[in-house]
Amino acid sequence: MEGVFQFFRFTGFANVTIGHIIMILVGLLFIYLAIKKEYEPLLLIPIGFGILIGNIPFLENVGLQIGIYEEGSVLNYLYFGVLKGIYPPLIFLGIGAMTDFSALLSNPKLMLLGAAAQVGIFITFIAALTLGFTQDQAAAIGIIGGADGPTAIFLSSKLAPELIGAIAIAAYSYMALVPVIQPPIIKLLTTKEERKIKMKPPRSVSKTEKMIFPIVGLLLTTFISPGALPLLGLLFFGNMLKESGVTKRLSDTASKALIDIVTILLGLTVGASTQATTFLTPQSILIFFLGAVSFMIATAGGVIFAKVMNLFLKGDDKLNPMIGASGVSAVPDSARVVQQLGLKEDKSNYLLMHAMAPNVAGVIGSAVAAGILMGFLMDVF
Amino acid sequence: MFYQSVNSDTLNTVKDTVANIQDSSGEVFNEIGFNLDNISSNDGILITIVGYIIVFCALMLLYLFISNLTKILIYQQRKRLKASGKDVEEGQELAITGEINAAIAAALFMHFAETHDFENTVLTIKKVQRPYSPWSSKIYGLRQFPRK
Repeated sequence: MEGVFQFFRFTGFANVTIGHIIMILVGLLFIYLAIKKEYEPLLLIPIGFGILIGNIPFLENVGLQIGIYEEGSVLNYLYFGVLKGIYPPLIFLGIGAMTDFSALLSNPKLMLLGAAAQVGIFITFIAALTLGFTQDQAAAIGIIGGADGPTAIFLSSKLAPELIGAIAIAAYSYMALVPVIQPPIIKLLTTKEERKIKMKPPRSVSKTEKMIFPIVGLLLTTFISPGALPLLGLLFFGNMLKESGVTKRLSDTASKALIDIVTILLGLTVGASTQATTFLTPQSILIFFLGAVSFMIATAGGVIFAKVMNLFLKGDDKLNPMIGASGVSAVPDSARVVQQLGLKEDKSNYLLMHAMAPNVAGVIGSAVAAGILMGFLMDVF
Repeated sequence: MFYQSVNSDTLNTVKDTVANIQDSSGEVFNEIGFNLDNISSNDGILITIVGYIIVFCALMLLYLFISNLTKILIYQQRKRLKASGKDVEEGQELAITGEINAAIAAALFMHFAETHDFENTVLTIKKVQRPYSPWSSKIYGLRQFPRK
């Protein structure tokens, strides 16, 4: 009989808390959103399932080596890649190998929209400071406004590892919710006429330009913000593999197999790191709130800056201000949102290629911002 | 050896993280509340303004470089075309727009996929076997169109 009681003590039923149930429901919600609504399924399925795995209750601290925070467990080893910021640069390598920068190269002034949208990061940094977070934590929370999951994980692993779970979940949730969050803000800040503006088609970009860009991009951005080197270094390296045209095998691996493997590991471990006993705190809820604010400010910042740019542009060169919203780096979701809104206003207005330009500039901008914050706040001296 | 070092590294990192979580959940949460003084005491405004300006400058530099690079490349292209004897006017646009590229790509695709308007009649010839069988002879009477 003693054995039966002991067995029961080890089961999930004996160790379950309300926190576990809440987190399991959150995991199920993520899976539902991924399958039913198709919101970022490649991220939400691994994260959602990871949340389920991380929140199966068990007897903690008795050396079972099961949980993600338990020494020697398999999940614990996989989580090492998150804690040490190994996965995000590998994801960036894959993104670089997948990204076509031609839209940006054909109209380089759109690069400024990618910079403008980073305002969300810095305003949220101030908001988080006001609410009592430390400098490092505030910076890690602010980067959610960059709408770039890998960058958010990278920066929080360096500055506030204790918040990685909450920040990663918030960043990826808002990235998945781009189609819900951005349209109302865009509509609020633009008139119907502005949304109908047709932009002139992008010119074709030569192979030379495409090959020079990753080299110059790397040199210019990382000399200014060396903290972003792991991210931008691998982003531009991946792009070089693609554009050089002579490393097709490497480019294929980086853009397919490698990024898929890392996405699985990253999503699963980030999800599992939300173990209710360590994750479910009022801080996490506050981070979620600040993340949403950050994301909204970033979207608004991009749109408003596009309108400001329009004051100085004439005729064909005028921008459809909606593309400013893609300055947040949720690639390609925010560009897709702009395309859909554009088509809703005018069925012949295709904005996808134009919106991709600030979108990829946003990836560079948020990584630069992360590097700058590291430069300001890393305690090295 | 490598395994051991990674192993101990992982354990230390995780131990630190868990300790941080435990420390911070008590320490930080107690301090959470709205306090504007936190901005000035943490150089919040300075970091925000300088940080944002640097982000802007980084992308502005990239913009300036790329836009000038394009001009240089187009200038060289003009020079090459002129050297090879082709007539290029000063304001003439040398870059091909995406629309023209799309049209060329569609034409090439149609050419290689042979989805042209005029079908080759040879392709329409189809061998039809009608072996007689007393067991299925009815089908000729029921479905076949009369042949001349």
